[in-house]
This record gives sequence, C-alpha cells and structure tokens, in this order.
Amino acid sequence: MNKFLTTMMVVLSLPLAAVAQTPAWNELKGELKAALESKGDPVRGEKAFDSCVGCHRKDASGRTSGAYPRLSGQHATVLIKQIADIRAGRRSNPKMEPYLDDHALTAFEIADLAIYVQGLPISSENGKGPGTGVAAGRQIYDRDCASCHGGKGEGNAEKFYPMVAAQHYNYLLRELKFIRDGDRRNANPDMVKAIKPYSTADLEALADYMAQLAPPKK
Amino acid sequence: MNKVDRDRSHKAGPGRAVVVIAAVLAAMLAGPAAAEDAKTIAATVCVACHAGDGNSVIPMFPKIAGLQEEYIVKQLKDFMSGRRKSDIMAPVVAALKAEDVAPLATYFSSQKMKAGEAEDKKAVALGKLIFHDGNEETGVPACVGCHQPEGVGHVIYPRIGGQHATYVAQQLKNFAAGERNNDVSRYMRVTAKRLSEEEINAVAQYIAGLGAK
Repeated sequence: MNKFLTTMMVVLSLPLAAVAQTPAWNELKGELKAALESKGDPVRGEKAFDSCVGCHRKDASGRTSGAYPRLSGQHATVLIKQIADIRAGRRSNPKMEPYLDDHALTAFEIADLAIYVQGLPISSENGKGPGTGVAAGRQIYDRDCASCHGGKGEGNAEKFYPMVAAQHYNYLLRELKFIRDGDRRNANPDMVKAIKPYSTADLEALADYMAQLAPPKK
Repeated sequence: MNKVDRDRSHKAGPGRAVVVIAAVLAAMLAGPAAAEDAKTIAATVCVACHAGDGNSVIPMFPKIAGLQEEYIVKQLKDFMSGRRKSDIMAPVVAALKAEDVAPLATYFSSQKMKAGEAEDKKAVALGKLIFHDGNEETGVPACVGCHQPEGVGHVIYPRIGGQHATYVAQQLKNFAAGERNNDVSRYMRVTAKRLSEEEINAVAQYIAGLGAK
C-alpha cells in the first residue's frame, strides 16, 4: 500500500508541475496555488480526511442517494480546486462550508487529503439512474462532453476537469442543473456555454449515462 | 546492578550519590505522588458527582471514566480558563492546581466507562439512523464519522458510547445555542444546530445504549 501511495504521489506531482496557465475561471492564486504546489502526503491526508467521513464515508464513496458525492479516485487537482473554491466563496456549498473553514484544514492539509482520496480504490457501487436515458445520454455525452471529460468519463487532472464516471446519479443531475442555471459559480465558462441549451430531460439522460460508466482503470 | 557498576558508583563519590538519591526522591514525589494525589482528589472531590471511578450514576452529570486523556485535559483546562462555562465545575476547578490536571486525566482515562441503557426504546431507531447516517436533508454528518463505531471516540473526539442520554442531549442543546463553544473548529456547534429536538433526544438515547455491557 505504501509503495502504491508513493507511486501515486509521483504520478500526481507530474501534472501539478505542468499546471502553468491560469485561465480567468480558475486563477491559480492564494491557497489554491499553495495547495497545488505543495507535495501532498497521503499518510497525513488519511488523518486530515477524518473530519470528512461523517458525510463522505470512510472509503470516500459518498452516498448512493447522491446527497454527498463519491470522492474516491477523483483527481487531486479537482478536489483541491473545489475545496479551495468553496473556502474562498467561489462555489456555494452551505452544507459543507462550515466544516471546511481554515481552523479545520490548512492549505497543506487540503493537498494531503486530496492525494490520499485520489489514491483510494473505487470499490462500492454508485447510485444509478433509471437506465432509460442511457442511449440518449450517450449521444449527448459523445458529442459535447467527451472532448473534455474523456471518452470514458475519466476527466482530466491537468485541466481540473473531474472524473464523472462512477459518480452518483442524483449528484450528477443536481450539479448539472446548478451549472446550467448558474448556481455553481466556479464552473468553466466553456462548460456553462455547452450545457446552456439542454432541457432537464437532456440532463437526466446525461446523468443516467455517466452514472453507469465504469470506474476508469488507473 | 552488577559488581562493576556498583564499584563505579562508589568511585563516583558522595556527590554523585546525593544527586542520584535526590533524583529518586524527586521521582517518587512527582510521579507516584501525583498519581496518588489524583486518586485522592477523585475520591474526595470528583466522587460527589462523577463517582470515584468516573462512572457517574446521576444522569445530568457525565460519565468521565474511559474518556480520552487529551479530551479530559482539554475540558479541565477549558473549565479553568472559562472557555467552557459551568456553574457547577467552575468552583471545583478553581480549587485544583494546574499540575493536578494531567494525573486526573490519566486516572479517569484509565477507568472503563460502563454502558448504559436507552430508556426511550421508541426513539432508538431514529437515533441509530442519525448516529450512522446523519441527516442528508439538513446536512447533519453521521456521528460515527468522528466518534467511531460504538462511539468509542478518537484522539480529540470524546468517547460517547454509554454516556448518559440526559447529559448528551443537554450538551447538544448547549452546542446548538452556542452556550458551549469549546469544540474544535465549530464542528459540534454547526452539527447540533442542524439537529431537531426530536433527533437530539433520539440520538442521545441510542448513544446511551452503546459500549461494552
């Protein structure tokens, strides 16, 4: 396990070092920059993750209801960005925000827990959609989403695009609506533009398709 | 001590022997004496409310047997500084010396908390749900996340399994109202505020029945 984690750290440090350009929607400054540049330690990260398990569960699988997302296997860059954005008020998350304040976590602990969580296996089942939208969802995904989030929903660590495969259906649907309706304020403007024309039925189909994508092999 | 060592210590002369004797005496006075003092304080002061072994039998007074050592130290210090307010504990800790804190924590921490029993059996089902899953609607984290299975606690998070329901419910209400505010990173104030009164009573009932019988 230690060897595995060490390997994960090395693997992670590569894309992080490559993060250079800072687009306006994701300006790399403040603690976001500090956390991205710090070398996360998964052993410390496991400890820092203690205060997250009440909602996200010990294995970081979240809740199949979709109330809380799966975090296990998510790119560390994505986790760091989302935590830093919530702390800085760039993304609203009233349920989580009070548990995330800077008394609870330092910028370095964010890096620690991100590398730890990224290395966790995606073992348990996620919450699936009704299944009736999969075919329609695949069409939309391949046309508009795959170019950024990957053909298999694996995301892109370097560009802060989250892995969407194996995520809980209801969580995907909720966030899709938030992004379309402007409620997830820290989304990439390209993403907001792409999703704008979609009906709620389109988003349900999309979430249905993404939720049944198998966890990407690492 | 073998013969050579004995000879060496003799050769070191009376000065060294005095130092050694003084050190031994100091250790006897500090270590075991402090522990003895703690037992005496427990048996003469704490006993009135918490019982001599820390297993209080009065529902409004917490069981302190088997609580994490760090947690007891923090609470006593917080009572002393006024960070945790209690009309009952304030005069008690005022009579304590700062050096009593650590040995008292060691003593009570080494005792075993006895499990209690849920009195309101109907509330236990909801309490169990809150303890293991929290409330997704209102953003209440599961208690088990920090307080661990069976509520045994974890480093800074106190053991709660087996604690009196009356005490647990009162503390949750105090946290919710901000009357108790010595929690780490506001976790308990935020969480307790999100619990309904029904949930507070239910989870307190469930917690009372946890732990070794």
